Amino acid sequence: MGTIRVRFILVALVVSFFAVGMSAFLNYFKYKSTISGIVKSRVLLVGRGIESSVQASIQVGMQFNEIGTLPEVLKRELLSDPLLRGIDVFDAQGVIIYSSDRPRVGQKVPDAWLQTAERSKATEWSTEAAEDYVAGISVKNAFDLTVGFLALRYAREEVDRAAAKAGGEILAAALTAFAGVAVVAPLALIIVIRRFERDLRSLEAAAGHLEDRTPAQPAAASAFDGAIATLRVSLDDANKSLDQLRAKLDAAG
Amino acid sequence: MKVLRTLACCLAVAAGLAADGDAAAQAQKRFRIYAITFRGMTDVERGFQEYFAARRIPVDIIFRDLNRDAARMPGFIEEIRQTRPDLIYTWGTSVTLGAVGAYDAIDRSKHITDLPVVFTMVAAPVLAKIVPDLASSKRNLTGVYIVAPTETQMKAMASYRPIKTLGMLYTPTEQNSVVVLDEVRALSKKMGFGVIAKPFKLDPKKQVTNEGAADMVREMKQQGADWLYLPPDSYLNTQTKNLIIPAAMEAKLPTFASTEGLMETGALLGLVARYHSIGQFTAYKAEQILVQKRKPETIPVETLTRFSLQVRMDVAEQLKLPPPLPMFNYAELITPNKAPAPAAPAPTPAAAPAPAK
Amino acid sequence: MEKNYLWRVYWRLAGVIMLCVVLALAVVSYFSHRVFEAELVPETQQKAATIAASVRALVIKATGYGVPFASLYGVDQTLREVIDENPEFSYAALTDLDGKVLFARGQEPAEARAYFATPKVLAVSLDPTASWANEHVGKNYFVSQPIRTDKPLGTLHIVIDGKFVENVLLEVMLDVVVVLVVSLFFTLELLNFMAGARLASGLGEFQHQVERMRAGDFTATARIRANDEIGRLLRRIDAAVDHLNVRYEFLVGELEEKLRKATGERREALKPAAQAMEAVKQRLRFGSARKDSDGDEMNLNRIRAPLFAFILAEELTRSYLPNYVNQLLVVIPGLSPQVVIGLPIMLFMLIVALGQPYLGGWSERIGRRRAMLIGAFIATVGFGGSAAAVNLYDLLLWRSLCAIGYAMVFVAAQGYVLDRTGHHNRAQGFALFIGAIMVATVCGPSIGGILADNIGYRLSFAVSAVVAVASVLAIARLPAQEVRSPTSNRPSRGPRMREITALLFNGRFMTLTGLAAMPAKVILTGVCFYLVPLYIVSIGNTSAMAGRMLMVYAVMMVLIVPLSASLSDASLRRDRYVSVGLIISGISGLLLLISDSFLVLFGVVFLLGLGQALSIAAQSALVAEHCQEEIRIYGHDAVYGVYRLLERLGNALGPLLASLLVVFWGYKGAFVAISALVLFCGLAFTVASRGFDPVDDAETAKS
Repeated sequence: MGTIRVRFILVALVVSFFAVGMSAFLNYFKYKSTISGIVKSRVLLVGRGIESSVQASIQVGMQFNEIGTLPEVLKRELLSDPLLRGIDVFDAQGVIIYSSDRPRVGQKVPDAWLQTAERSKATEWSTEAAEDYVAGISVKNAFDLTVGFLALRYAREEVDRAAAKAGGEILAAALTAFAGVAVVAPLALIIVIRRFERDLRSLEAAAGHLEDRTPAQPAAASAFDGAIATLRVSLDDANKSLDQLRAKLDAAG
Repeated sequence: MKVLRTLACCLAVAAGLAADGDAAAQAQKRFRIYAITFRGMTDVERGFQEYFAARRIPVDIIFRDLNRDAARMPGFIEEIRQTRPDLIYTWGTSVTLGAVGAYDAIDRSKHITDLPVVFTMVAAPVLAKIVPDLASSKRNLTGVYIVAPTETQMKAMASYRPIKTLGMLYTPTEQNSVVVLDEVRALSKKMGFGVIAKPFKLDPKKQVTNEGAADMVREMKQQGADWLYLPPDSYLNTQTKNLIIPAAMEAKLPTFASTEGLMETGALLGLVARYHSIGQFTAYKAEQILVQKRKPETIPVETLTRFSLQVRMDVAEQLKLPPPLPMFNYAELITPNKAPAPAAPAPTPAAAPAPAK
Repeated sequence: MEKNYLWRVYWRLAGVIMLCVVLALAVVSYFSHRVFEAELVPETQQKAATIAASVRALVIKATGYGVPFASLYGVDQTLREVIDENPEFSYAALTDLDGKVLFARGQEPAEARAYFATPKVLAVSLDPTASWANEHVGKNYFVSQPIRTDKPLGTLHIVIDGKFVENVLLEVMLDVVVVLVVSLFFTLELLNFMAGARLASGLGEFQHQVERMRAGDFTATARIRANDEIGRLLRRIDAAVDHLNVRYEFLVGELEEKLRKATGERREALKPAAQAMEAVKQRLRFGSARKDSDGDEMNLNRIRAPLFAFILAEELTRSYLPNYVNQLLVVIPGLSPQVVIGLPIMLFMLIVALGQPYLGGWSERIGRRRAMLIGAFIATVGFGGSAAAVNLYDLLLWRSLCAIGYAMVFVAAQGYVLDRTGHHNRAQGFALFIGAIMVATVCGPSIGGILADNIGYRLSFAVSAVVAVASVLAIARLPAQEVRSPTSNRPSRGPRMREITALLFNGRFMTLTGLAAMPAKVILTGVCFYLVPLYIVSIGNTSAMAGRMLMVYAVMMVLIVPLSASLSDASLRRDRYVSVGLIISGISGLLLLISDSFLVLFGVVFLLGLGQALSIAAQSALVAEHCQEEIRIYGHDAVYGVYRLLERLGNALGPLLASLLVVFWGYKGAFVAISALVLFCGLAFTVASRGFDPVDDAETAKS
């Protein structure tokens, strides 16, 4: 019975591992996405302010690549939240026209930024850069043509650090829970398995008496009583027939 | 077999060369646009030109100004016939009608029928009979109109202060205004407000006069109007600055302008299409015809999607009706002296360490 | 009876395990709550401060234009925007320098007014250096921002709902419940896999022996018994049987000997003995049992785990595949994007439909196990390729590989079951087969949806590939030795073109196939595989939600199919079950006309599952009932072959039809239209099949 016991306990462990693992995984990802969302909305708030001033400039007739006040605005907004690493404004071809970081002007943004921005159905989009997260807003003109994009780069650290910390704690909780199950489940299982083992043992015991010909043993209150009884009856019956035959044969001399 | 193969190769090479040649030719080719303006250069033309510059499309634009004198038109038409530009640009309803005629009254001798035309600054293309339907002109023209949909205007008004009763002055002999009035009445049922519409009086010769207009404004206020709507109406346009607006201000009735011109006369609130954006949009349509080689009849006649909401702050102060707080974010706030508002102290960074709880 | 005994044991074990799991999950949830609370609250406070700062800037701008602070208009509109866009905030208010509320929006907490007037708060608005303050008051968090120009004006307060952490965790709860349900099914499958095979077959063998001997069959089986409890028990029974056989043979020998030697009256004396012998011979049987007459029960069970794993790999993709295709979309001129999205699903179904008739014979020739190995391997490559797909075109290639692998494994597994069952246990064998598949359809989509939401589509396909590899390993453990089925001696083959065309034009056959079987599949694949995942994501919801809906469908099938199978068998009015099932399926989509809420989709999926479960069990048996003539002419295999072929073509038509309907009428319209179509077919079937009489079992058994 040892192997069966071990196998069932193994099943319990595998299933708990799956369940606890999945729920820890779910909690972690939920936390990460919630906190990312919160941080992103903070960043986008700054972005929306910049976008509306860009819009105001376009509305009064300034060309998108001639908004003289924009670099100052970008520098100022960068300071408003320590999370922000940099703010870029790039055109529809991906070339940076304004940036809070002067040397970046004229460079091309990574293709992924442009693709995400174009593919996004809403004016706000987000993606990941090498070391930062990027939250972006598409700038459209008065007849809904996209003239350019605003991209705010913010530090990964805050979100990653928080996620790692939370992840560690959730992992600890999961391991504790799993350890608890590893202790409790086998004990609980053994109680159930014992009954099963008992049934099988009584089955085996009864099997030893199959050919006993003694009247029915007192039922061992196992689930197999009926089957055992039937078996014994069949064997009895066959033996009796053969007994009769023997008797007849003997009688015939 | 081999002959066929060589032939195919030659054809391919030839086609390639031809295509290359074409592209090269196109790269050098500059588009010629013949632009007829009504009253000289406006921001519309500036926007029109700047669009091509930003898109690096080489264009040569010949500007001809009507200077409000319709007699000059035939001369321009003649010049067009001789120079055969790639595209014709017309400013305003009368210029457009002069160049291409109403869609049911085309005169081949007077009007352009064989060159693409793009019009701009038209208030109501369908009413003016320039096009039968905004979806397609069914002929060689397309364009941009400048008035926001009436529903959008009503919503803009309601976003400032709710409309319970709307007052409206209009010229009964202007088809345009009558149609707008119908639209307003339909919207009033849908949006749930009342309408008090008063037409300008006509003199015995059936000409419109401004007699009693100021009284009409006063009556509207007494009858409970909380807004005075100024529709795109030519006669009204001439009367607003000196007559209607002062009457409304006296009656403490807020006014809403449907065009930039009306806004400039001193209305409180207006939903206007910026001329610059109109020019750019017109250039966008021109680009579709010139560069993308689309036929004008396949390009719908449209207006901007984004209009400027303009608020006159001194009027607001006089009427004691400040704009709702959210509007300070997106509306264009016009102050009389154009001085910037008193500088607010720089907002302290939101991420300052949280003070002790 | 003994079989049920084992399942009762499993359920008890599973119950215990589930209890432990629930406790573990509770622990994890508790700690997660603590973590969330500790980390999220400060971040949200920070966000509130940032938003408050922007509102403050707006107020300052307004006062800068000369609007007096107390006469500001429309402040509640701004406050409403703040509350609407940020579900964590429950209340926002602007107070004057005395703490009196001037403008407010949202649910006012009881302690708010008192708090606003406390000296500390008032001091904040007066202090020129203070930036913002936050305070935990009662159950909520108050963030206060002073508003000042060159002199203090007032204070802006934002209240963060204390319950928002609970709300965030509630969203996770739903997924955790799904995980629990899936864990339950996993447990049962694993129990069966780890220990079950031997136990089940041992117990089954025991029961078999009991039955045999009750019927008087005491033939000795020459099996090797395992050395566990049941094995030892069986050995004892074998011993008892052997003893009987020995006695019997001895008696027979003695009788024959005596009969040979006896003469005359000795012979007469032996007559009663001889008669008794005859009587015994008639009632009881002795000797050696026919070899392998009962099939191969123990190894039969072994198919369940690998089949479950393999089907699971495919089912994991159900809830997000159309959205993945959408992501990789390439514009094909002439085809609207909706139809293009349906292409991979259609191709998959088409390959499975067309391959199945012919793969049966192939798997027979090269061996079931080998066929399954090849199929699972191909499918693994397919999943891996799908994960790495560049655009629609190569996705089509990889999905075709998945389809080929799927068809191979499915047919070979079916053949495996056929080989190892005899007439008496074939139904059970297939119940095992179908059971494994249905459990996979319960677990797969929901988990797949959760994975897709959290780790993305590509990695989810990679997970499917890993599960497929696991199935390869499980298949490798199957016995390598092939068993020929005792009942089938003809090599199976696919239906011929001649047969297909003949049956296509056959009225009775097409009534059943065209009006019942195909529409049922069309609505299944159209709704579950195409519409539900796409619609749910199009309204902004998650793949996990789509997975939950598909899970509801699968659970309905699991619960109702066995019930309806036995009911329809008993009642013999199978056509009624098919009709009712079709009509219920047909009504399902019409529910969308009633309400706009996407929760209605749960009702749709529920009804669909109910309808499908009712009809599917009875449908295939109905073929034998209605089409006896055809079966007589073309043979059982051919008729069923064409039936299955057409039914599976219905699978391929489903996404095509659904996508076209979406192009014309949008998602809701597509749901309604496809249901209306099936409703119509159901009614037509009811009317058309009214002429066919129910046939009782004896007749069916004959054909």
